[in-house]
Amino acid sequence: MSTATPRDGGSLIVGVSSEIDGFLPSQSHFDNTGYIYANSVFDTLTAVAADGSIRPLLASSVVPNVDMTQWTVTLRPNITFHDGSPLNATVVVENMHAIITSALTAQAVAFLSGVKASGDMSVVFTCNEPIVAFPAYLATQVAYIIALSQLEKQDAQVPVGTGPFSYVDWEPNDHFTVAKNPHYWRPGLPHLDQVTYRPIISDESRESSLRSNTIDLMVSHDPGIIRDLQNNSSYQQVTDLHQTIGQPDMDFIILNVESDPLSDLTVRQALAYATNPLEITKLFGDDVLVPNTSLFPPGSIYRATDNGYPSYDLAKAKRLVAQAAPAHGGSLKLSLVDIPDPRQALIIQALQSMWQDAGFTVSLNQIQQVTYIDNLVEGQFQAAADEQFGAPDPDLNYVWLSPTTANPPIALNFARNKDPKIETALQQGRTHSDPSARIEAYQTVDKLLSQDLPYLWISRAPWSITGTDTVMNFANPILPDGTKAQGFSGGVFTPVPIWLKA
Amino acid sequence: MARYLGGRVVQLIVIIFFISVVAFLLVHLLPGDPTYSILGPNDTPAARAELLRQLGLNKSVPAQYWTWISNVFHGNLGISFLTHQTVANAISVAFPIDLELIILSQLLAFLVAIPMALVAAMHPNRLFDRIATTSTYAMLAVPTFVIAVLLVLVVAVKIHIFPATGYNPLSMGLWSNLKTVLLPSISLAVGSVAIYYRLLRADMIATLQEDFITMARAKGLSTRYILLRHALRPSSFALLAGAGLSIGSLFTGAFVVEILFQLPGIGFQLIQAIDSRDYLVVQGMALVAAVAYVVINFGVDIMFTFLDPRIRRG
Repeated sequence: MSTATPRDGGSLIVGVSSEIDGFLPSQSHFDNTGYIYANSVFDTLTAVAADGSIRPLLASSVVPNVDMTQWTVTLRPNITFHDGSPLNATVVVENMHAIITSALTAQAVAFLSGVKASGDMSVVFTCNEPIVAFPAYLATQVAYIIALSQLEKQDAQVPVGTGPFSYVDWEPNDHFTVAKNPHYWRPGLPHLDQVTYRPIISDESRESSLRSNTIDLMVSHDPGIIRDLQNNSSYQQVTDLHQTIGQPDMDFIILNVESDPLSDLTVRQALAYATNPLEITKLFGDDVLVPNTSLFPPGSIYRATDNGYPSYDLAKAKRLVAQAAPAHGGSLKLSLVDIPDPRQALIIQALQSMWQDAGFTVSLNQIQQVTYIDNLVEGQFQAAADEQFGAPDPDLNYVWLSPTTANPPIALNFARNKDPKIETALQQGRTHSDPSARIEAYQTVDKLLSQDLPYLWISRAPWSITGTDTVMNFANPILPDGTKAQGFSGGVFTPVPIWLKA
Repeated sequence: MARYLGGRVVQLIVIIFFISVVAFLLVHLLPGDPTYSILGPNDTPAARAELLRQLGLNKSVPAQYWTWISNVFHGNLGISFLTHQTVANAISVAFPIDLELIILSQLLAFLVAIPMALVAAMHPNRLFDRIATTSTYAMLAVPTFVIAVLLVLVVAVKIHIFPATGYNPLSMGLWSNLKTVLLPSISLAVGSVAIYYRLLRADMIATLQEDFITMARAKGLSTRYILLRHALRPSSFALLAGAGLSIGSLFTGAFVVEILFQLPGIGFQLIQAIDSRDYLVVQGMALVAAVAYVVINFGVDIMFTFLDPRIRRG
């Protein structure tokens, strides 16, 4: 973005797409807005660089033992929280204990068998198997370090971190305001005096707010709005549609492979052949979306050249339906569920039509997001439209894909696909430090998913950030070691480098 | 008079009691274990135990109601499981926004409707009257959300006079506050203008035919004086009745406007709470909105008994 000299001062108002439920990394559900808020007031131990490598942030180094079952994190000296207390090993250990014991976050770090201080400023993380992508975990929700004062009170309302901005005010569903942290440990940063985040749930209302100068910057997930603002020279826009670091979010249909008739592979194959991602993106992608039929996007090192995913073939779908129907009482009935969203409603109607053309009987059901997630976790669904898998490293998706997390009562592998070969490949990706072995492992996962068909791929999930022409440097963060950090991705940005033109 | 008032107060208490029972039962109408419905499947047993304790679900239903209503009288409506904010605090932030919207929209409606009706009644069936009457038909026909969207497009997006969304409290300055509530208030006021204009115009035309008006004219009083001092007051009963009745519907109208303008009033917060299954907030907000509705209507009824003695006699 801009190469001009940054100017300090000014207030920024940002329109975000949702509201969060608090500022406790161990208890609160961070979606993209949660990460944006957290990036304002907290720091993680590591961060993702623009080339996909993981670099230290609050940590000064992250060093493994020989077999990568122990990782020693050394902290940067002289960092203080907003309440003046120092960052040290004790604080990190307490934070990690909260993460390990929380029902919300424990599964994400189930491989951790111990976290101990090994000095004032160093912490040893012990894993029950080699975790080569461990530093990537320290760039996520589980490694936002909060002050002991907040942790001890379990205060989800007032965040106390080491971040570039400190808490001023949070009125849920209205605004979250932060002010410049004058003691921020990164010299010269941040540039802004104040940032106010305004959750504006409707994409259209957020766009109107930007166009009326009510807000200066907005995040969007709607292809139509991304396209409209892309074509308007009054605004600057960055999308994440070309990023290939780790794994971007994907739009797809989850099939519950334990529910009848979807437990029958022939039925899932029929659905895959009956689904036309190209047609869906043409109809609803607003020239922004392109179809994608893999766990990984084109250009990703983990994407297999040919993963064997079924291409749209209605005749074949009809043949498979005729073949499978007798075993399921003569007809194939299923329900497709989604959250109430006008654009999503159109997409699932199109899918219903495609599947019915192949001979399925499909009912549609829209339910509230919270109930929707509960139903996925509990397996109370047959087919569900979903968006998932954004992560800085494919291993972070282990909990969503592994057969070990496909069992009740809380199955994070929503599709409940229990292919042991997938577990073997996931373990290879998790434990082998050789990059080529990891690439081979995740390409195998991709191919196996194309055979098992727990997911029907549609497209990448698009995110954009759009600002007025006075907002500078909103997608070009730099890490403490001077390397470029990963910019805007998955609807998340950091306000640290942003400045306002005079 | 005292008997009439006493009767109305008893009615009010009975209605509020039934409202409180319905609001209380909201949590009990959830299928299965309410703690499961409220917290979802992946929360801890400790959190469930805390919620059980907070809701008093281990007691009999009447005992639970008693505990709950006692807490309500002490201003304790529970804690949001989403934002960890007390429900009472959320309501104390949201309710004044609804109040401001309704008061401002009604002021605007009166400011426009009364002069329009006076002029139209003075010269019925002339050009101004016809234009005003036709315009109010159109105002009645257009839904509030269409007016709101049009205002945003024209006034906020095209000519950048007012913000499209958001709310600035009065503590940020009068103009700063007005900038955020004027468009929503105008959206709400349009429907009221049409109703008030039509009610007042009809009554004014009838009043202006009365003998005491002819007498006033014979005395040589100015038309303006006659309209404002002699004709307006006796013509205002239907207008005030209409205003009283419409305040209730303005609450629900305000819900739509709050969503469109992202004003964090009761309606907006209620929708967010329903979306996120934050039942204690839904319970608290529903209780407050319903009680406010009946109390306001009660206030309007009482006001009429003072303005019109026929009501208390009847």
